[in-house]
This record gives sequence, structure tokens and C-alpha cells, in this order.
Amino acid sequence: MLNMHNIRKSFRTDTIETHALRDFSLEVKEGEFVSVTGPSGSGKTTFLNIAGLLETPTGGQYLLDGEDVSNLNDRQRSHLRNEKIGFIFQGFNLIPDLSLFDNIDVPLRYRGFSAKERRKRIEKVLEQVGLSARAKHLPAQLSGGQQQRIAIARALAGEPRFLLADEPTGNLDSLMARQVMELLEFINEWGTTIVMVTHDPELARRAHRNIQIVDGQVCDLRTVTEQAEAATA
Amino acid sequence: MIGYYISLALRSLRSTPILSGLMIAAIAVGVGASMTVLTLNYTISQNALEHKDDVLFAVQLDSWDINEAADATNEIPWQLTYRDAQALLRSDIPTRQVAMHRFGFTVELENSSIRPYTASTRVTTRDFFSLFDVPFIYGGTWENEADFSPTQDVVLSKSTNDKLFSGENSVGKNITLNGEPYTVVGVIDHWEPAPKVYDLNNSPFASSENLFIPFGQHRKLEIYSWGNTNGWTTGGGEGYEGFLQSESVWVQYWVELSNNEQKAQYENFLTAYINGEKAQGRFERPLKFALSKPSEWLVLNEVLSDDNRVLGWVSLAFLLVCVINAVALLLAKFLRKAPEAGVRRALGASRSAIFIQHLIESAAIGIIGGVVGILIAMMGIGGIRYLAMGQIDTLATMDWVMMVASIGLALIASLLAGFYPAWRISRTNPSIYLKTQ
Repeated sequence: MLNMHNIRKSFRTDTIETHALRDFSLEVKEGEFVSVTGPSGSGKTTFLNIAGLLETPTGGQYLLDGEDVSNLNDRQRSHLRNEKIGFIFQGFNLIPDLSLFDNIDVPLRYRGFSAKERRKRIEKVLEQVGLSARAKHLPAQLSGGQQQRIAIARALAGEPRFLLADEPTGNLDSLMARQVMELLEFINEWGTTIVMVTHDPELARRAHRNIQIVDGQVCDLRTVTEQAEAATA
Repeated sequence: MIGYYISLALRSLRSTPILSGLMIAAIAVGVGASMTVLTLNYTISQNALEHKDDVLFAVQLDSWDINEAADATNEIPWQLTYRDAQALLRSDIPTRQVAMHRFGFTVELENSSIRPYTASTRVTTRDFFSLFDVPFIYGGTWENEADFSPTQDVVLSKSTNDKLFSGENSVGKNITLNGEPYTVVGVIDHWEPAPKVYDLNNSPFASSENLFIPFGQHRKLEIYSWGNTNGWTTGGGEGYEGFLQSESVWVQYWVELSNNEQKAQYENFLTAYINGEKAQGRFERPLKFALSKPSEWLVLNEVLSDDNRVLGWVSLAFLLVCVINAVALLLAKFLRKAPEAGVRRALGASRSAIFIQHLIESAAIGIIGGVVGILIAMMGIGGIRYLAMGQIDTLATMDWVMMVASIGLALIASLLAGFYPAWRISRTNPSIYLKTQ
């Protein structure tokens, strides 16, 4: 599903060049649920932005669903992002003056679906996240957990094959976090590939595989089970 | 997607009413000020006789002082002497020809509650109505003889007929002009050429006249022009007859020449006439006359002056200042919405989609600003009318062309104002806002 080979990303100012990712290589298979951990500033978010086609790498090769996306133009990247990738953010990133219905509608508009198809999909995902009755509400009228469920609904409405979550439970209390995590696990069981950046070791352990990034490089590619076994040995 | 962008634009305007109001005001004031001036310039530049531009000609003869050219753009007097006008009227070459000038009568109506009042009057030959395509509601013009002998006929304007006879057919009825009874022979429909091409040297933007009387009454009534009368010598003799035979110019003259052959004939006629007069000691300057089409006549008379043109450019410069203000306001508004643009980018919007969305929001501001600008321009024109005290009454309204132009100008202004802010927001890195929102 996702194949990065020797990806490099550096940010340059007038005097300093910072290497956010260095020879970063990673493969995520279809249907996997991968958690990404690492200290602050290690390059987790840069990896997620490159994976989500929001940033372009300075070097290396990135294959998404078998397609080399390194040299695509903005329109092609946007199209691919809209069609294949769903995003879930720590801060929910719902548009405050749009109703929940209209927030979920945003990616579907760019996809070019008919009004009938959009309505069908929005109603379906609202039902899946249990918020059908709140469709006309504004985000500010919902709790944090409900807002994140709407953000997940928005990410799912286009039926992406690849979901990128950047600390999706970071702003939630433990109960809400558990509910959101269960929802993500449920989504993964349907077959959606998920890559989740998190600081929470408990949540990281619930993924199939945990990747640690340190100083812009992947330093542990073992499965969660292998890591646990190594820890107890 | 355009419909979606329009709905987003309107939603965005509603969500920031003060900022949106300021932007609309910036565009509206700029467009309003510009369109006030441009509408005046546009109306001034109009040629009400455009449909007859190839066949109508204003006639000028250079009968002026040998020592000094006449004070006119082409150095030929704008008007003719009475004796020259009478001589030209005897030619049968033109299809139609008009000798005329401005005048005024005191109007009375017997057995009426209407108080005597002064009415603007055109003293003219009968071809005036057909030559300038003046439409009649009732009756028509007077008989040919009235142009050469005193016949007390009168044609009323629609407003005069409405005032004196409540709009009823007044043909055959009498009114009193300067104490003399006149018979109504016709009533014209509303007719307001703007500018008044047929008489540009007497308030070219004043309303057309209320009364029209035959040209053959000068000697009987001792009529002097109420318009410009210019002279360069005191010769001519004593009394009113001396005035008629003098070198004073006060009669406006137009001819209709249907083709080039007819025009050439008429030019030969004028050449022969001037040479004949030269032989009698008149027309001492080199032989010179002019036949000017209505469009040329407007240019010669500098109806759209350099001052008007400068004012037009100044008003557009003012609009530019307003656009620059709108750029700053739009930039502030759009950059405040950068996080939303970041989310949209993450959800699949391309840079061009974000750019178009925000450009359409600018266009929406422009259209609303244009509508408000039209109202401001109407108030501006009304104000100028008020200040001009009736001298430019016919310039008072914006026609649909200028209304469409106002919206167009506002649209262009807002798109110019919105281009850079929309481009800026479409180029922002979404990942910055996605993490920090």
C-alpha cells in the first residue's frame, strides 16, 4: 500500500538546514494498522505529511498503491489525496461555520459526486459514527469526542483505502480516546489501512505494528508482538 | 463546483459582516465615484444623431474679421448671420435645411388658472422636425410659407401640452405668446437628445425647448436671439433691420445632404455664394466654410472637454486606491481563513481549487459593491444635477449600459483586488495549519 525508499526531507533557512527525514524507508501493507511513535521533533509529522501527499520529499522514492507519486503535480496529488487518503487530526480540524453535514460534504465535493450520492454517503457515515441526529449542528455544539467522530466520518465518507491519523486521541479524555480507538480498529477490520502517529504507548500497542522514528529515521520495524516478546525476554 | 464556491462565498461574507462590509464599501465608493464621472462622460460623448451622421451637416461660413480669426476650434464662426441664413435658405440643393436660434416667450392661456410663465422657444424653419427626427403626438409642422412670412403657428412640446391642455389634442387651439394669439399646429412627443447636438453653443445639456415657432416672424416681432450673438463690426445700419443686415452671427444652420453628389453640389453652391459676397466686399478672409457631421460637430465644440477626460482618469485613480485598500482587507480576511484552506487542501482541494474559491468570494464582493456603487453613482449624478441648476438635466440618468458597466467595473476591480490574496492563500503550506489549528 505504502512504500517509501530512502526518503529525505530537509528544511532550509538562510543559515540552517534541518534534516527532518534521512534515508527513511518503510513499507506498509494493505490492511495493516501501523502505529508510529517517537520523541517530539523526530520526524513523525513530516513522515505523515509526506505520506499524505501534503509535502513533497527532498529525495527518495514514494510509491502509494504501487504508483510513484514523487513527481506528480499538485492537481494529481490532490486528486490522489482526495480519492485514496483520509486524514484524522489531533485538533479535529472541522470547519467551524459549516454544519456537520457540510463538513463531511467537503471531500465529496472535490471528488465530484452527485448531490444524491453525497447525501447517501454522508448519511451512511453519520450513522456509522452514531451522530445522525446531529447532522445540522455546528462543530462547536459537540463534545471533543463527538467532533473527532465527525472528523473520522469525514475521512471515511470518500471510502479511502488509506487512513492517516495524527495523534487522533491527543485532545480527548481516556473514555473518549478508547471509543475513538475502537472505532479506528473497527474501520481497520473493514480493510482500511491505517497509519497512526501517537505518543501513547498503550494505543501504539493496539496496532499490528509499531514503528519508532528517531532523528528522522526508522529504528524499529518489528511487530508489536515481537517487540513485546523481546521486552519480556 | 462554481455553485458550491458561490455558496461558500456568501457564507463567508455573512460570517465576517464588518470586514465584508468594509470591502464592499471600498469597492462601492470607488465604483460609485468612477461611474459618476464616467456616466457623465459617456452621456456627453453620445451622439443623439448617430443614425443620421452621414447625411446631416452643421454649416459654418467664415464671414469674420479679416484681421482676426473667429474664436472657434476651426476658426470659423459657430453660427451664421441672418442675411447669410436667408440666402442659404433659398438653395434647393439640400434635401432638408434648418435655420434656427434660441428664444423665449411669455405664455398665457385664456380662461385658465395657469399663471403666465416664460417658456424656452426655438425659432426655426419647418424642416427642423423631419431633419432631426422629432416625433409628433398630434398634428405636425407649419406650412412652408410660415418660414418666410409672419404666421402665428406654434408647435408645443409634450410637457407644455400636458401643462396647458392636460395632454389632450390641442391642435387648432390658441395660446397667447407675448400677448399675441398663436394657433397650435402640432405637439411633439418627449424628445431630449443629449447632448443637444443641434444647439451646442447654448447649454448643450439643457432640456429641449417647450415651444417651436416659425422662422418668418423676425421683422414683425423684432426677435433677438436668446442664445449667443457674436459680432466683430458695428456695421449694418440702424434699428432692427440694421441688426438683421449686420455681421452679427446668431443663426444656427443645418442641412441634410443625402449623398456625396448632393454634398459636392452644395459645397460648390457655398463656394459660389461666398465668392459672390466677396465681390460685394464681404467675406474678406480667405474662402473657408465647413460642413460638419454631428459626430464631428461634437468634437469641434469640445463637448467632452480635456477637463472631463482628466476627471475620468482621476476617478479611475481613485478606484485604484479603493482597490488597493480592498487588497489589504481581503488579504487579512483570507489569511485568517488559512487553516480552513489547509483542511480543504488535506481533503483533496488543489491549489487552483482554493484559488478559484477565493477569487469567487472576491467577485461576490465586487458584484455587491457594484450594485451599491450604482446607487452611489446615481446620488452623485443627482448631486451634480442639483449643483448645475438645470444646465445638465438630460445627463441625469444611468442607462442600462452604464449599469452593466458599473457591475463589470466592480467585478474587474474586485478580481484585481482578490487575485493576490487568493494566490497567497492557495500557496500556503497546509501542514502548518493542520498541526497548529
